[in-house]
Amino acid sequence: MIGFVVFSLRRAWQGFWRNALMSLAATATMVLMLLLLAGFWIIQTGLLSALDFTESKVQVQVNMNVDTSPEAITALGETIKALPGVAGVTLVTREEALARFQQNMKDLGREDLSKYLDKNPFPASYEIKLTDPSYAAPVAAALQPNLNPAVHNVLDTKETAKNVKTVTDIMRTAGSVILVVIGVIVLFIIINTIRLAVVARSEEIEIMRLVGASDAFIRWPFVFEGAMVGLLGAAITLGGLALLADPIGGFMVDFFRVLPLSFGSLARDLVLIVTSAGLGLGVLGSWLSVRTYLIR
Amino acid sequence: MTLAPASTAATRSIRERLLRRGQGRSAADRAILILHDVTKTYPNGKTALRDVDLVIPEGDFVFLVGPSGAGKSTIIKLLIRDEVATSGQVVLDGLDLAKLPRRAVPKVRRKIGIVFQDFKLLPTKSVWENVAFALEVTGSPRRKIRPAVDRVLALVGLTAQRAQIPSQLSGGEQQRTAIARALVHDPRLIIADEPTGNLDPLISWEIIQLLLRINELGVTVMMATHDADVVTALRKRVVALEEGRVIRDEVGGAYHRAD
Repeated sequence: MIGFVVFSLRRAWQGFWRNALMSLAATATMVLMLLLLAGFWIIQTGLLSALDFTESKVQVQVNMNVDTSPEAITALGETIKALPGVAGVTLVTREEALARFQQNMKDLGREDLSKYLDKNPFPASYEIKLTDPSYAAPVAAALQPNLNPAVHNVLDTKETAKNVKTVTDIMRTAGSVILVVIGVIVLFIIINTIRLAVVARSEEIEIMRLVGASDAFIRWPFVFEGAMVGLLGAAITLGGLALLADPIGGFMVDFFRVLPLSFGSLARDLVLIVTSAGLGLGVLGSWLSVRTYLIR
Repeated sequence: MTLAPASTAATRSIRERLLRRGQGRSAADRAILILHDVTKTYPNGKTALRDVDLVIPEGDFVFLVGPSGAGKSTIIKLLIRDEVATSGQVVLDGLDLAKLPRRAVPKVRRKIGIVFQDFKLLPTKSVWENVAFALEVTGSPRRKIRPAVDRVLALVGLTAQRAQIPSQLSGGEQQRTAIARALVHDPRLIIADEPTGNLDPLISWEIIQLLLRINELGVTVMMATHDADVVTALRKRVVALEEGRVIRDEVGGAYHRAD
């Protein structure tokens, strides 16, 4: 058994270097495909975290009547906190609301119209963060004015929440489908490239068959060779990505702005995906390529 | 002595007795190879062999003659179980090849050594490595490979050329390397497919002498050839094929039918 493994590894190593040009072509193809896969994964991760971020922005805003007493405001706050699906509640006082308006106008370069008012027209409000956008409808329903006298109106974000959720779901599904499609295309290209390397050695395989080599002795050297191509391709791809990490990271921060992207986990995922995809494609590619040469 | 055509009752009974013995794997004089009413039709509809009956006792030396396309290569393919007979039985050393599980095929192939017209040597390996390759890829332990390879190289007279690669050898030396490789498994049967086809007459005789010597050591030899001089001169058993049928099977025969 150990003899068999040593034999197969030695033959894989010899095979790789004897036909160095073909092996390098297969490795280069592998690198290109893995870069494509990694690039798509990076974009997909960015988009999904952008969507997560948007999702987390979905919230319910409750405007209170202007004349609500501080006690009633506090009481309403307690009521909201007790509702299911509420992650957090922020009170925006009438003064804060006015200050925000003034700041907004200043940012936009418009005249501050509030100076013509003799009193603050803004109501106090609660901004409610939800644990999940799907809670928007029940939370809004529970805070309607007819149930809570302090409430003037509830800002309707049900539709927004629904839209964002639809987009997120489509993105996730489409992303997975595209990933699978790319995987299959990559597999076909890799199989073809490795098949060329196998065909180049068909004479050797024929002799092996004629002298009575078992399928395992014919197959495994090629499978190990495919694994070598895959792992080498993965190493080169990861090396390239590591060199590009800083510009890519900068671009992603620029592009997606303040997203809570965790680069640590993205890098870990990429190492895992690129290595396993390289290894898996190399092994599967050689396995399928060499199959035609085995005993019928 | 002439073997009667396959259809007579006497031959049939001898053949069937040998067939039984082969399956029982008991008798010392059993047949190494039995083809029993073998027909082979390829998927494209071409029938390469029709009702072929052939019994080759252990230790025999048989010439397989006939024009191209007569079915010689198909017989060889059936023997190494590259193909399976459409009907009839192919029994090698007591094993019915059609009933052989896929996994057992490599082991059966090790009972056969094959020599080709074009040698089929690996160009980047030395003589010694080419011969050792046959043992390596069948999982022989290294300590057994060295003495076995040295022994067969001595037998074919290539000990001095052991380190050379095929392109440095003459055609005859290349074919002797291929014969050494075929022998290294201690096969029961050597199949030589036009082994002298690429060699000049003098070298051809060298190769024939070598095959005869191997035959004297007890290995059955089956040689497909177009070389009329060799066949006629040696007066060994001759099996002639034409259009997939055995048209002649005689011991001491010439290449052409003696009319």
